[in-house]
Amino acid sequence: MKPVECPYEAEVLAAVLEARWPEHVDATLREHAASCALCAEVAAVAGAMSAALEPTRACAALPDANQVWWRAQLRARREAVEAAGRPITAIQLVAFACAVGLLGACFGATSTWFQAALKKVAANVASFDGTAFLTAMTTLFAEHGVLVLGLVAVIFLVPTAVYVALGRD
Amino acid sequence: MFRDTTFTDVSRADAMPDASAEFVMDEETFRGFYERNARGLWAYLARVTGDREQADDLLQETFYRFLRAAATYESESHRRNSLYRIATNLAHDARRRRQTRAPLIDAGADVENVSARDQAGATERGAELKQALGHLKPRERAMLWLAYAEGASHEEIASAMGMRVASLKPMLFRARHKLAELLGRKAEGRKA
Repeated sequence: MKPVECPYEAEVLAAVLEARWPEHVDATLREHAASCALCAEVAAVAGAMSAALEPTRACAALPDANQVWWRAQLRARREAVEAAGRPITAIQLVAFACAVGLLGACFGATSTWFQAALKKVAANVASFDGTAFLTAMTTLFAEHGVLVLGLVAVIFLVPTAVYVALGRD
Repeated sequence: MFRDTTFTDVSRADAMPDASAEFVMDEETFRGFYERNARGLWAYLARVTGDREQADDLLQETFYRFLRAAATYESESHRRNSLYRIATNLAHDARRRRQTRAPLIDAGADVENVSARDQAGATERGAELKQALGHLKPRERAMLWLAYAEGASHEEIASAMGMRVASLKPMLFRARHKLAELLGRKAEGRKA
């Protein structure tokens, strides 16, 4: 198996981060890095990245610590207010749902055409022929089997593909 | 977000009790912690997201979530790891949200462009690093930045990335190898 770590890596990295690499390190370490692919990689990558550290840090226009603290406090208070208001909202929602339900029940009990429609639906459900439905479905599948399979595959595969694509780094 | 705060909010909030009682540290401790870590954290977020403005927003969000986290910290490094973990997760979420809106074309471009604009003497090596980093995955950029720019240990990186050290090592090796190859190709191109 290809090695992924060299015992001298840490030493090389420390030398690069402390700006001692390559002039101010032991000649033996330099010679080792010249012959070790892993240490050479560490020196190259750490050299490039540590050189970019200060310019990147210098780009930061940071808000003052007091400002961050004050804003955090403000936001925490606002969230506390929202959290305190949440049970009231939930109770209001339940009350509204109850009122709508009550109105619906009153309407259902008093409206003659609604009752007639309900009876019609109930009659249709009672006369539902499962065998005929099954036969119709079998015929449909026999005639358009490929299409049905394709649709099922799309229904399952598309969300999976989207999930994999978005979840990938 | 913080930017939406208005004066009405301020006066309303002033009438309420001190919310900082729920924070993981007091104001004085926070100030010191912020001074020590904010700049490095911003650089990390800017490199991982590739977007300066997003790094500004995520920095404040990270510190806010850190302050509100129901956690006890044993040491400064424990706090720092936790801060970077929050930042990593937020950057990940932000990237996912951005991916659903528009694909990320060149991660790191914004940071580097700003850097190049701000610093007239931006080196060729810096530009090469920018291009090479653009070819890496955000997670690879994150671990490489922590390891080779910030000098974080494997344990610290694993903690910030939310993974086991054993899993981190081969991933870090692969990412480093990839970046070294990309940088090597750029250097060869420059010589030729």
